[in-house]
Amino acid sequence: MGEVFTAAVLVAVVASAIRLAVPLLLASLGETFGQRSGVLNLGVDGIMLLGAFAGYYAVLKTGNVWLGLLAGAIVGLFLGLASSFIAVTLKAEQGISGIGVYLFGLGMSDLLFQKLVGTPIPINTFPKVDIPILSDIPYLGPMFFQHSTVVYLAFAAIPVSTFIINRTTFGMNIRAVGEYPEAADTLGVSVAGTRWAAETIGGTLAGIAGGVLAISLGIFQQNLTNGAGFIAIALVYFGAFTPLGIMWGALLFGAINALVLELKTLEIIPRDLSNLAAMAPAIITILALAVVARRIRAPAALTKPFTRGH
Amino acid sequence: MNRITKLAILIAVFALVAAACGSDSDSGSDSGGDGFRVAIVAPSASNDLAFTQSMVDAVNSLKDSGVVSEVAITDGTFVPEDGATAIRDYASDGYDLVIAHGSQYGAFLPEIAPDFPDVSFAWGTAADTYGLPNVFSYEAASDQGGRVMGIMAAALSQSDVVGIVGPIEVGDAKLYVDGFKAGVLVGKPGADVPVNYIDSFSDVALASEAATSLIGAGADVLSGTAQMVVGAITVAKADGVLWFGTQANQTSLAPEIVVASQVYHWEGILEEIVSNVKGGTLGGELYSITFANGGLVIEYNDDYPLPDDVRELGDNAVKAFEDAG
Amino acid sequence: MTDRSSPILEMKGITKRFPGVLANDNVDFDVYPGEVHTLLGENGAGKSTLVKILYGLYPADEGEVLIDGEVVSLDSPTDAIEHGVGMIHQHFMLVPTLTVAENVSLGLKSSRGALTDLKAVSERILELSNEYGLDLDPSAVVWQLSVGERQRVEIIKALYRDARLLILDEPTAVLTPQEVDQLFVTLRKLTDDGRGLIFISHKLHEVLALSTRITVLRRGAVTGQIPVEGATRESLANMMVGRAVKLTPDKLPAEPGEIALKVQDLIVMGDRGVIAVDGLNLSVRRGEILGIAGVSGNGQRELAETIAGLRQSESGTIEVAGIDVTGARPRKIRDAGLAYVPEERMREGAIGDFTVWENLLLIDYSSPEYLRSGFFKFGAIKEHSQDLVDTFDIRTPSLETSCGSLSGGNIQKVIMARELSSSPTVLVASQPTRGVDIGAAEYIHRRLIDTRNELTDAEFIHAKLIEHRNACTAILMISEDLDEIFGLSDRVAVIYEGKIMGIVDPETATREEVGLMMAGITTTNA
Repeated sequence: MGEVFTAAVLVAVVASAIRLAVPLLLASLGETFGQRSGVLNLGVDGIMLLGAFAGYYAVLKTGNVWLGLLAGAIVGLFLGLASSFIAVTLKAEQGISGIGVYLFGLGMSDLLFQKLVGTPIPINTFPKVDIPILSDIPYLGPMFFQHSTVVYLAFAAIPVSTFIINRTTFGMNIRAVGEYPEAADTLGVSVAGTRWAAETIGGTLAGIAGGVLAISLGIFQQNLTNGAGFIAIALVYFGAFTPLGIMWGALLFGAINALVLELKTLEIIPRDLSNLAAMAPAIITILALAVVARRIRAPAALTKPFTRGH
Repeated sequence: MNRITKLAILIAVFALVAAACGSDSDSGSDSGGDGFRVAIVAPSASNDLAFTQSMVDAVNSLKDSGVVSEVAITDGTFVPEDGATAIRDYASDGYDLVIAHGSQYGAFLPEIAPDFPDVSFAWGTAADTYGLPNVFSYEAASDQGGRVMGIMAAALSQSDVVGIVGPIEVGDAKLYVDGFKAGVLVGKPGADVPVNYIDSFSDVALASEAATSLIGAGADVLSGTAQMVVGAITVAKADGVLWFGTQANQTSLAPEIVVASQVYHWEGILEEIVSNVKGGTLGGELYSITFANGGLVIEYNDDYPLPDDVRELGDNAVKAFEDAG
Repeated sequence: MTDRSSPILEMKGITKRFPGVLANDNVDFDVYPGEVHTLLGENGAGKSTLVKILYGLYPADEGEVLIDGEVVSLDSPTDAIEHGVGMIHQHFMLVPTLTVAENVSLGLKSSRGALTDLKAVSERILELSNEYGLDLDPSAVVWQLSVGERQRVEIIKALYRDARLLILDEPTAVLTPQEVDQLFVTLRKLTDDGRGLIFISHKLHEVLALSTRITVLRRGAVTGQIPVEGATRESLANMMVGRAVKLTPDKLPAEPGEIALKVQDLIVMGDRGVIAVDGLNLSVRRGEILGIAGVSGNGQRELAETIAGLRQSESGTIEVAGIDVTGARPRKIRDAGLAYVPEERMREGAIGDFTVWENLLLIDYSSPEYLRSGFFKFGAIKEHSQDLVDTFDIRTPSLETSCGSLSGGNIQKVIMARELSSSPTVLVASQPTRGVDIGAAEYIHRRLIDTRNELTDAEFIHAKLIEHRNACTAILMISEDLDEIFGLSDRVAVIYEGKIMGIVDPETATREEVGLMMAGITTTNA
């Protein structure tokens, strides 16, 4: 037992946590844009699934992982536009219409996979890129600097998202229409336009997240995401609607899963407790939410469609 | 936007969803045999190279040989309640045999089967008919193949660490994992055999990380069961770690590293079930596929240069099971 | 120089219908450069509708709008802003989570392209605030600002956009007399620049002081358009209401009983972590109204919230009807006999999505009178709600109407009805008539005085509350409206920086004296 928490285990857990966190992180960042603008998209998982299939299929046909990522992004973009149309223009009940998008993505991704591929065929995965010098640092190198390019890009997306939300006029408009759309409207900010844009960014990032998942795993399967999109939605709240908070949430979630896996591999969790350990991510997430919930304020206009003059 | 437009769009969306989901089930109605109709309800895709495919292949081969005339499949019903609905639909459509291919559907059979006394139900993998006269149950002695491949894995491992990725510790998966582990320990009593049950049948990403973790713990041979192991196989392939498969031939996923797969051939017991049904016995029996009855087969990957002595170990182990009957 | 002989704005034959209501009935209205043209009218008279049409928030059903003699189509606020129209809304159109500078720059092109240029915006805000005497910190987040400060942001927002035609919807409702004077100086600077102002107010002395011309609306139609010369408060009020109106409430001399609310050495922190209530002492007796006068942001909100149990105090004690309720939960404080009419009526006083009857039931919902084994007794509830609606003259299409769709005055009447129906020993009322116009305001004032003498107002008391008939209510009324303070209070306490500066008798004190105390200057010892 004494050798359980060796440096090697720690390195493995951290590296694994980062890999598990990346799809959640990307999807959750996307959802943050939508939610900050006042639109809740419960269809993230469906968009991820279609993005995952598109990414998988593009790589299968071309062998190029970056074309796969692009395919995931494009599918996400179109589903983001569709979600915007339903939520913003049609003003549908967001808690319900998102579930429709999810079911559509779940069914359609599987249907396309069955019709176009059939038997699973492995595809190329993202190449690992060791960052010069940094990757040679003992322990830290294998933890943080021996990942694939998309991992670095996903983490780079955090400060970029923070910057967009806090320092650009677009980000300011997003915050305004998510909080008090009437006020933004009286100053000539297009509430619908801003929400469309934010929601479409959300869809695109969800599509990318799905593509990253499939191309990282090198395979597609029915319901590949296994509900990751819903965890991503929860992470938005967990992260207090800020990119940095979401990053910590995604890493925490990944770390708990990675730690439980590692402990199982080392067989230091008694079999009887294995099921309990499997619930640990959910339990810790709920506890963490209970602790942070007091400090979190959701955008005031979240899920509320905007109509001028009401 | 007025209400009618909204409604129309909602209907359109749901129609698309329904189309996407509904088209999973297809029925070949071309005639053959003497009009015996079989339906399968299964949790994963019919070409999953694993659990579901093994049964779909078996039923299709019975259709090819004319034993049954019509096959209907609803796959991907990983939500048990959806599966139960499909089972009931097939029964009320008058199918002669409805195969509930997933232990998770069992709980619904005592509710469904009594309502359709003229329909026979087959449920697996399980060893319980609930005492119902129109329910058969079937299982695979997957521990047998596990043991055979475990013995070979022990011989191939240089690190003396052989890892196993499992889903949830129940039923067929537990049987296989325990058999495989026992086989490794027979081959190399001092070997380390870490088992990682990820507590999910569907989380491919977690299966992938479990494989990474096992490889990190020194494993140079891996095995695993259930449909989420595709994630583990791609990791094994990327790291050049050997793989033993089960439930279907997994060679096509990674020809470089798959040594052999235990394959289920349900045809034999299915044929028995069908002839029972035709003869008026609609249930009550338990079936198990084994090496002895030809239901289990080890399929080797011809592209993998398996040393002859290791192959011989495997063949001997199979023969021991066949001899034991 | 601007040509002052031709109007900036002409609205001709404006008609606007809402389901069941004719909100504007063939209204003609115009504004010349350099003038203040006031719109006067009761709740629902159509003033807001008219200016919302002008600001592009509603389309008119009939009529046309001309700006500088050209017919324009105002389909959105963007159109209005582009034509030089600015609006200071009654319910502030500010995003509470954004800073002052962000709110001001919202919707404007940034000098730095896609990036915000808050530095430049802040500099311009400071320039404007110096020029017009509107003290503001551009980096402050709006939700932390007092109501008065928020209004300054609204004004800056319009000035920043260099509006030539400025709509001011009840801008003085939240200000002290000094602030009003200051605002008027600002507004006169604007008219001197050749801008035209549309002023909406129900404070008749302010209307008379500021306006050039006055248009009175009643039930959507213009009932009079007169120059300010020769107009009197009485004549204006009569044009508005269509009958003679009593502008000062009648009240009988107070007969104060024992102390019902006692606050001692109370210290409370504000949202920004600074002391908001600083060792405050006060007591209110049964059967009297203690008015708290003060500029917004001097601890009034924190004081009221702390008494109601919505905010924790640092130290000090609060007693309601002799019971120490310091730090107690709101429910316990209510049980002790306190009723509370909060300052933010839409946010804290009523639930907009709930129906009128649900809002009326919010406190008593669990009383056995309305609840049997977990089920509402709808018969009793409806009867009780209808009684309150009738007694308080709540103008609602039905009991099932959602409270949020009522006018501000009617929402306030719903809250008053609910709070007073519990026959409280102590009533804390914050800004009871802010944003409520004359007709409704007149009614609410009458109720406050009736309640003080509950025994004499049988109409107001339900038979079931008869056991409380000997108890008179102690009322703590917090208001920034000096008319209200002087018209209702038996004693007036002036609050400044979280302390009571002094207590004066409204019969003998002057507005100037109170105004100076509100600014922190003590003249005489009370």
